Amino acid sequence: MQSNRLGWILLAPTLVILFFFGVVPFLYVLWLSFHQWNPFALDPTIVYNGADNFRALVFDSGFLSSLGVTIAFVFFAVLSELIIGYLLAQAFLKEFPGKAFFRTIHTLPLIMAPIIVGSIWKLMTTPSIGIIPSLLDSWFGFDLNIGTSAVAAFTVTVVMDVWHWTPLVTLTLIAALVSLPADPFEQAQIDGANKRQIFWHITLPMIAPALLATVFIRLMDALRTVDEVLMLTGGGPGSATRYLGVHIFKEVFPKTNYGYGSAVSIIVLYLTIVSCWLLYVALIAPRNKKA
Amino acid sequence: MSRTEPQDIETPINIYEEQEESRQSPLDKERDGFLPIQTNWFDRVFISVIIWVALSLFWLRFLEPAGLSLNFSHAIAVLLGVYIVWKG
Repeated sequence: MQSNRLGWILLAPTLVILFFFGVVPFLYVLWLSFHQWNPFALDPTIVYNGADNFRALVFDSGFLSSLGVTIAFVFFAVLSELIIGYLLAQAFLKEFPGKAFFRTIHTLPLIMAPIIVGSIWKLMTTPSIGIIPSLLDSWFGFDLNIGTSAVAAFTVTVVMDVWHWTPLVTLTLIAALVSLPADPFEQAQIDGANKRQIFWHITLPMIAPALLATVFIRLMDALRTVDEVLMLTGGGPGSATRYLGVHIFKEVFPKTNYGYGSAVSIIVLYLTIVSCWLLYVALIAPRNKKA
Repeated sequence: MSRTEPQDIETPINIYEEQEESRQSPLDKERDGFLPIQTNWFDRVFISVIIWVALSLFWLRFLEPAGLSLNFSHAIAVLLGVYIVWKG
């Protein structure tokens, strides 16, 4: 009982901070999502409108289109990051000349602010001055124009996200791979298992918790991507890169539609929680049940 | 007494086992229900809320335009939630 009380006392500062900076803003946004509020209108009063924001949301073609491109963006970005991150982690476990230098260089994008990443990629992909369109044109005769081609803009935002966040996946997977015991691998090799069998039946199940934690982090980040994309494409051309974060930004700031923006935010939070929970249930929970 | 003389010498003794068991609230206990995973009381309430939101959005999009009030969705969600918490 004594240690229980001590535990609560030690946790209290964190819980108080979490309450004021996490729970209160969430409840405020939830409350606002059931109201109509435009603080810069002639009548800035907050009016309760029931489920009207959500009613408008399920018929809003802009929101539904944003949801579609966001799901595609998250799928391609997170999957690419996992595959490239794993391959790089395996490479960094081996010795090769210049390994320390390459590892430092490879981690640099991680420390950059998203707005800087967006600026860099905008400079690199602007058709008249960017190095990437220039090289693609001279090497392959390919005309990359993110201002007019929806596919090009979408692809570049995915590549930018992969460039920015793959080092995080690599670092997490290096930590996971280094901590694996050698015995199961030696036993598998003695039993005649090939590399593919070792990967699917030993490596992957053993790094699954670390992999899942990384996917959770990346999934949550990718679903709320705003600044990089806003800087690079501004959500265009058309609505090709108008991801949910960008959609919320455009509803809340230029249109000052705070109630509707809050409703979209709540739905994004809901989607994030559900996708993380489903991943957990699919990958970890059945194993716990068997145990 | 039996704790000081373990039969299996390779299994480490958890000296906090009794304390941990006494601290665990009945609401925290996990159990097998019709859901495909072991759940405690909070998990089942969480699943109910998730289903309630999904059902409400589906209702708003497809069934409310046909004249069915959103209140039917809430009633179904509450009944389903009670069943999940009770049997899930």
